[in-house]
Amino acid sequence: MRSEELIASLAQDLRGVRPLPSPARLLATWLGVTVPVLAAITLIMGPRPDLAGKCGEAGFLISEGLGVVTALVSAYAAFCAGRPDQPGWKLWLPMLAMLAWLGEFGRQCAVLGVQDAGGMLRLTLDPMCVPGIAIAGVIPAGFIVMLLRRSATFRRDHACLCGALAAAAAAEVALRLFHGSVNIVTLLLWQMGSVILFTALGWFASSTILSHAVRAPRRRQEAG
Amino acid sequence: MDQQGDWARWLREAQAGNRRSYEAVLRAALPWLRGMARRRFPWADAAEAEDIVQDTLLALHRNLHLYDPARPAAPFLLGILKLRGADRRRAQARHHLRTTPLDDVPVTSSSLATKETQEVSIDVGRISSAVGALPPREREILEMLKLREMSLAETSAATGMSVGALKVATFRAIRRLRAKLGVNDEE
Repeated sequence: MRSEELIASLAQDLRGVRPLPSPARLLATWLGVTVPVLAAITLIMGPRPDLAGKCGEAGFLISEGLGVVTALVSAYAAFCAGRPDQPGWKLWLPMLAMLAWLGEFGRQCAVLGVQDAGGMLRLTLDPMCVPGIAIAGVIPAGFIVMLLRRSATFRRDHACLCGALAAAAAAEVALRLFHGSVNIVTLLLWQMGSVILFTALGWFASSTILSHAVRAPRRRQEAG
Repeated sequence: MDQQGDWARWLREAQAGNRRSYEAVLRAALPWLRGMARRRFPWADAAEAEDIVQDTLLALHRNLHLYDPARPAAPFLLGILKLRGADRRRAQARHHLRTTPLDDVPVTSSSLATKETQEVSIDVGRISSAVGALPPREREILEMLKLREMSLAETSAATGMSVGALKVATFRAIRRLRAKLGVNDEE
């Protein structure tokens, strides 16, 4: 078929569509659900007893702030990934934010290791982190998949990876408000390990769901 | 620049369902897309570049809702072209991995010989199973147009679809069939 004929056919086949909201608006929508959900989970689980004291510690505030930045940048990148006209650099910002976040934990480990001659660096078991992240992250992850379903044609895997990372980072920020770790190494390995595990599982699950969600309306359209 | 301002307006009107504006923007952008395809994908021959342009048009058609009316149209079209070109290149690379060059085997070599009936039955079997895996609507349309050789008007009357919709559905069905047969991994 010649391209000119294809154009005529496509024009015949045109149906009006509703433009997708901008990435910034989708981010605001996601936050509108995620923030109240995480606040409710924190209240239900009960804020950690030393939370007021922690809020005065620079290290805690910086790592929580970097977690928030990672969640925001990742969600924004997820909403940009499906848009063909969005520049590539926006899609790689979450990796930078994640590296800065991990780097801050690494810096705190190094500082404590030097100050305490390794006393604060003893690894202890903290298996509560895995279900904690899962409970806090499942609604933000499900909601971001819902918001991504109309733009999942292009760069779907990248959108899903960023979306899963956004949900995991938001869940980790909330987790540290209701669950404390014994020391920084335990936090780094168990909590950040849970973030990476949740991101990987969320990436796989959302990519599978969205690949079916994109095909389904097309099949309905073709069958009709 | 003014021309691309028209493209943005036409795309906005196309989102509202205006077929004339849609056809205008596609026709105006076609030579520009062809030029971009040749520049961006020097590895592609003329037919391959035209396929990338057609993939771009189809992807635009399916994703018209992703266009932000506040933004210019050219980066949107170029973005689709780049992504579709990259997809096609990846598909080619995958296809290349599954093929074995036979350039160094003489064409008269007996190792290349198969019985005529064997080739026919293999081909028929592959095509039948690929056609069988198509969605029922596409299978029906291909059967009417290609096997029973009905005209577009007759098929249109039989299926209740417009001639334009039939052409698009046939185009998609053939692409899907080619993909299933391993001729082309692109949708």
